[in-house]
Amino acid sequence: MKPRSDDAAVKPRFAFELDVPAAKLAFGRVVVFALLAADALAQIRHAPRYGAGFNVAQLPGLDALGPGRVGYGLGELVLAYAFVLIACGVATRWLVPLAAVIYNWLYFGSQLDSYQHHYLVAMLLIIACFVPWQREVALDQPVRSWALRLMLVQLGIVYLWAAISKVDPLWLDGSALGGQLHGSLRSLIDATIGMRAVAILVPLTELALVLVWMRPAWPYLASLGILFHLGIVWTGLEIGLFAWLMIGLYLFVVPDRVYLAVVDRLAPVRARATELAAALDRRRWIVFAVAVVAGLACAIACRLPGAFVIAIVATVCVLAAGLRRRRVVTVALAHLLALATWLAIDRTTSIARDYYKFWGGSARRLNDPAAAETAYRHLSELAPDDASAHFNLGRLLLAHDDVTGLDELHASQRLDRAHARAYIAEAQWLATHDRLADAVAAAQAGVAAEPNDAEARNLVTTLLARSHAR
Amino acid sequence: MRWLRALLGSWRNRFIAVFVLAQLLLPLRYYVRHRDPHDERFAWRMFSPMRMVQCTPRFTLAGAPIDLRSEFHEAWYEIAARGRFVVVEALGAELCRRHPDQRIEAELACTYLDGTQRTYGGYNICSVPQL
Repeated sequence: MKPRSDDAAVKPRFAFELDVPAAKLAFGRVVVFALLAADALAQIRHAPRYGAGFNVAQLPGLDALGPGRVGYGLGELVLAYAFVLIACGVATRWLVPLAAVIYNWLYFGSQLDSYQHHYLVAMLLIIACFVPWQREVALDQPVRSWALRLMLVQLGIVYLWAAISKVDPLWLDGSALGGQLHGSLRSLIDATIGMRAVAILVPLTELALVLVWMRPAWPYLASLGILFHLGIVWTGLEIGLFAWLMIGLYLFVVPDRVYLAVVDRLAPVRARATELAAALDRRRWIVFAVAVVAGLACAIACRLPGAFVIAIVATVCVLAAGLRRRRVVTVALAHLLALATWLAIDRTTSIARDYYKFWGGSARRLNDPAAAETAYRHLSELAPDDASAHFNLGRLLLAHDDVTGLDELHASQRLDRAHARAYIAEAQWLATHDRLADAVAAAQAGVAAEPNDAEARNLVTTLLARSHAR
Repeated sequence: MRWLRALLGSWRNRFIAVFVLAQLLLPLRYYVRHRDPHDERFAWRMFSPMRMVQCTPRFTLAGAPIDLRSEFHEAWYEIAARGRFVVVEALGAELCRRHPDQRIEAELACTYLDGTQRTYGGYNICSVPQL
């Protein structure tokens, strides 16, 4: 029998694996999945586009499987929750495949998602199912992964085709880029090397970045790639978090020695963190209870639609994990962080507000007054200072002679004293309900609010004529 | 050959090979075999000149224009305005379903970055479902 080493020497080997320090995998995981969580929450505002009885899927035959408004919103909430847990290194073997399935469903389910980077993320998540995110080794020890290499190969393929797509006279003469760039970066380019030069430099850079999957190229490509995508951030193009996500992915390209140096430097911090973890572990059931209760409080305070329902399901899962006594403190804190992320993003952005505004607007245009009323009622509760919400709700209520609509119009008038529309709506309703004097007064108030509004002026003239005719 | 045998020697390697090949070849579809120049999905054509096309989808029912925004969510109109044939055709099919036995004409007028203009369709989409 031949020795094992001889076997290895004779047998041809397809060496695709990448050995990287565990610190690189952990840091990249935290950043990339945290960005994905933020992106998932940001997408919730677009949920009202989905459903409404019409869909075209990304792939033929899948139209009926596309998500509806509710399904899309809940799917993104689950994704955001799962991504935070993955970022914390919790249950990655289960959560990454779950996130990949939901993400791919949401993306391929409808052409309404036209972000190319969401297609990239859908592909990367499939590959990410095979990355050993939770390998328990010291941070300076290597972790071997073929899937991480495949993720970088995927990026290389994206750059290759992106460069090929720019071999086009309309790109190379700078007109395509010039048509899409605005703001300070545009001024800077125009004042220096010119749009044409940048249009040539972009595909050349992309061609260089094709080699991103090859380790020897990392020392050069890490900084080139990060600068390239920071430049895209600077353009201010409406591409969501694409450029930031790409920068996050470059954390896997930053040379290993950087991570090893940081791990070495942070040894005292890690020692303290280990002590803290041990202290928390001694009080793990208190930490667990506090995290569960605080998590529920976050979910109650979160205004994103469906947040409380998903939080209850998540809490049940966390309680089940707690009963199995597996990494109790980590799971509980990750759960709390996920729900706190929902709350923080909800309260610092206009996502919930936009959701109801877009839902109300589309339902109104599509002649679904019941849905529009529900949406605007939510919006006016959520944003009592939104004159438009009160105006639209008022009009919808008055359309079926619910006089509380007048209160909504009055609220709108108080909040927006510079526009006539709420006065006009009030005057029109009053005029059709035999309250001509009140209608004239409302119309005149409209003209006072917005003297140049032709509709308000005409309404005053018409109503006064009717009033005199009596 | 030995290298190829090694490459395809395990399920993991086969997965890698299929994945990479699919990702390398799928964008070719746009360049080699496509009927819709505006549909750049899966081809990694970010910020392309074609992305800047501006189209106006028009549908008429018995000669009268249909207000697409009151029939479909505005987002579908926006995708149709980017010239995506498959969406315009699906909108047409849905309109034909909502208005059976009627003549619905579909037309997509597009203006490209270099100023050229082109019109697609212009016929009853209920009888000819493709642009």
